[in-house]
Amino acid sequence: MSLKSETPNETLDTLGRVCPYPLLLTKKALEKLGSGQVLKVLCDAPASAEDSIPRYCEKQGYGFESVKLEDKGYWELYIKKK
Amino acid sequence: MNSTLGFVLSGLIVGALFGFVLQRGRYCVNTAFRDIIFINDFTLFRAYILGLLVLIIGANFIEDMGWLGGSGELYRQAFVPWANVIGGYIFGMGIVLAGGCGSGILYRVGEGLTAAIMAVFGFFFGITTTRSGILKPVDELLKSTVVYIGPDKDITPTLYNIIGVNKWIVIVVLAAVAIPFLLKGEPFKKAKKGYYWSTAGLLSGLVGVLAFWASAYWGGNARGLSFTGPLREFFFAVALGNSQTNQIATNTLLGANFSWSSLYVIGVPLGAYISARLLQEFKLKVPPAAELMRVLLGGFVMGIGAQIGGGCNIGQGFTGASTLAVSSWVTTIFIILGNWTMVYFLLIKPMKE
Repeated sequence: MSLKSETPNETLDTLGRVCPYPLLLTKKALEKLGSGQVLKVLCDAPASAEDSIPRYCEKQGYGFESVKLEDKGYWELYIKKK
Repeated sequence: MNSTLGFVLSGLIVGALFGFVLQRGRYCVNTAFRDIIFINDFTLFRAYILGLLVLIIGANFIEDMGWLGGSGELYRQAFVPWANVIGGYIFGMGIVLAGGCGSGILYRVGEGLTAAIMAVFGFFFGITTTRSGILKPVDELLKSTVVYIGPDKDITPTLYNIIGVNKWIVIVVLAAVAIPFLLKGEPFKKAKKGYYWSTAGLLSGLVGVLAFWASAYWGGNARGLSFTGPLREFFFAVALGNSQTNQIATNTLLGANFSWSSLYVIGVPLGAYISARLLQEFKLKVPPAAELMRVLLGGFVMGIGAQIGGGCNIGQGFTGASTLAVSSWVTTIFIILGNWTMVYFLLIKPMKE
């Protein structure tokens, strides 16, 4: 099952936030979650959505999927904590 | 080609190419330095090192081939140890507050980030305050110690003349250190989307070489890519009618005197805008008020540091470093240390609490 179709345990809105807040807030939100739980992040900073956050998740071994909502100009990121 | 038209177009095109590469590569030197200690990741740092290596080889090659117009030489900055150390450190702290380095804030203007526009204005005010205003005495004091070498004490120190070897020996040694580090990052893998780090690094280096050539050809001296001076000159040209540049060739447009670099610098957000538009990533974004103020302050701190240290992460850390001037290498090291200091207090320490 893909992460996108799971109901997220928590949703984090980082729209408009300046680098590095999207990454920092994501990191903080993930710390509060338990293993196996899913965090959904709304992010409109291209570098954070496609670069910093996925790279961080890869480092941590967390599941990561993203959907770019081109009409809205932001990404929905789904992160599953290990 | 009409010389004014060539002057304007070449500036805008070189700037736009750089902005395009920065946006596609998500290339931010602040992030490159930050990620090393924040998430233990070297990906963007590798892009920076690859770009720098390409630029070092390319810039010194075109200098030796005699392809640089104007003075024919790369501009190697004077070694002002106090200013390089303190300015670099202040700048390094400022980029964390501003959420982007000299290049980062400019390309993000093209993505519609209103915070980046604030950072650019703060940056300009910081530069001007330090260069001409109330912080001028500090700038002058820190620059009063200039270190020269040679029998007549009139030679600007570089990595090769301080040890008395041919510059290509130093370049080969730097390459020998950098290449194994770059290979560890699997540079030949394909990107899932956007530019892979090796593509971004390579292209930024090539644009840097092009900028050296173009700035010498049209501007009269090989200044290359930089942001601190050009941004100041752009605002001066627009607001005061004269860019007050040290570039040899300038042109009058709309009744104001523009330097080549002041045109190149506005090409950067334009190129980033084109890239962001094509990727459907352009959107006007507004952060919370407190963040907007923090970014303005960060930009101001960056401006102070960049003016004192002789440039930003591009002017000193990329273009300057490629000339192998000691000044630029010292500044770059202290930019990294300043960045790490601020990352610790702003990002790492709060995470532990």
